Amino acid sequence: MLESQPQRGVARLLSWIEDEDPRAVEALQATWSRTGNAYVIGVTGPPGGGKSTLVDCLAVHAAAQGHVLGVLAVDPTSPFTGGAVLGDRLRMNDAQKRGIFIRSVATRGHLGGLTATTRYLVNALELLGCDLVFVETVGAGQGDVEVVRLADTTVVVEVPGLGDEVQAQKAGILEIGDLLLVNKSDRPGADRLAQELRSALDLGEQHDWQPPVLQVTAIEQAGIAETWEAIDAHRAHMEAGPLAADRLVRQMHELEQQLQQKLFRDRMVTIGDDALRSSAQQVLARKADPFTAIERLAN
Amino acid sequence: MGGKIRVLIAKPGLDGHDRGAKVIARALRDAGMEVIYTGLRQSPEDIVSAAIQEDVQFIGLSILSGAHGHIFPRVLELLKEQGASDIKLIAGGIIPDEEIPKWKAAGVAGIFGPGSSTGEIVDFIQAQSGA
Repeated sequence: MLESQPQRGVARLLSWIEDEDPRAVEALQATWSRTGNAYVIGVTGPPGGGKSTLVDCLAVHAAAQGHVLGVLAVDPTSPFTGGAVLGDRLRMNDAQKRGIFIRSVATRGHLGGLTATTRYLVNALELLGCDLVFVETVGAGQGDVEVVRLADTTVVVEVPGLGDEVQAQKAGILEIGDLLLVNKSDRPGADRLAQELRSALDLGEQHDWQPPVLQVTAIEQAGIAETWEAIDAHRAHMEAGPLAADRLVRQMHELEQQLQQKLFRDRMVTIGDDALRSSAQQVLARKADPFTAIERLAN
Repeated sequence: MGGKIRVLIAKPGLDGHDRGAKVIARALRDAGMEVIYTGLRQSPEDIVSAAIQEDVQFIGLSILSGAHGHIFPRVLELLKEQGASDIKLIAGGIIPDEEIPKWKAAGVAGIFGPGSSTGEIVDFIQAQSGA
């Protein structure tokens, strides 16, 4: 189906990847040499910050420049029912009308702003010929910084009215932005927020790339061209040097994570439930302390 | 297969009453499904292309305006054209009782008029998807 109906084939492959269906592994193994061609732009920020609307504008803008692109839009899964209402697509009408491939993705219990398999979802989109993929995270909090492990350029979207300047000093998503956008800049407080973000960045360590702070109003298409120029400038900066090393570090991290999971699962099978239960009983009965019990199980 | 049930909920036509569509979206979510909500004024072309990209097993349409006479055949036709007739079409809203047999014969898998409970719709989808 990948050959005869590429859109359907890739859409099905995306589902297999999400479902951890073994057919996903086979398909990715068979096509691996054809992947790796997309530049990944991550977009993150608080819920209701206008990320989807912004991605819609940027995607349409990029398509007009000749890019073939895809969009992955992540929304949270309910921890109670396992279900999800995925509403990002609702804000992406213009991109949809242009035929841009958009896929709504539920976190399925994964924390950190993305899903466990987002990397492979990007690879699947590359099979459609995408040279650019936008990944929109869930409405992110201060700790949801996983997107930097995936994206070549990370855009952090902030909006006025969420907090005072101390927020701008805190660690977390503000540190990961290659670009900081103040969206909804038609609202009061936007100029001040932009100013505060700039001073927070000035106080920090100076790098080769100083993240610009831009003001946009996505719903009115204001500031989109400037944002795209800034993304392009960051891309040029990355491609002139740090990108290859960056991707290597990220790939190492990725392999390490997956290896960890595999080793862990295999090891847990070897240890078995019975050994785990009897250790727990010993710890509870104070016949063993947890540290010794763990050493014993691990060896 | 163990895959998640994914359903696209769309509101074609020009009327803006999307309360029903939202209630259904919420009920399906609460039943553990992934619901892609595409909102108002979607054309049949929008709906079918979104359904294919999202790899849903079901398209749920809420139609109150009487436009179903145009929309049902067009959606079914586009699904067929794009080799996606395995995606099942279900509908809710105002569809005259006497027309229901005709639309079912044409390929609409389920029709849920006013008074249908959300539970009925959830059960129908689960049964149809073999879950």
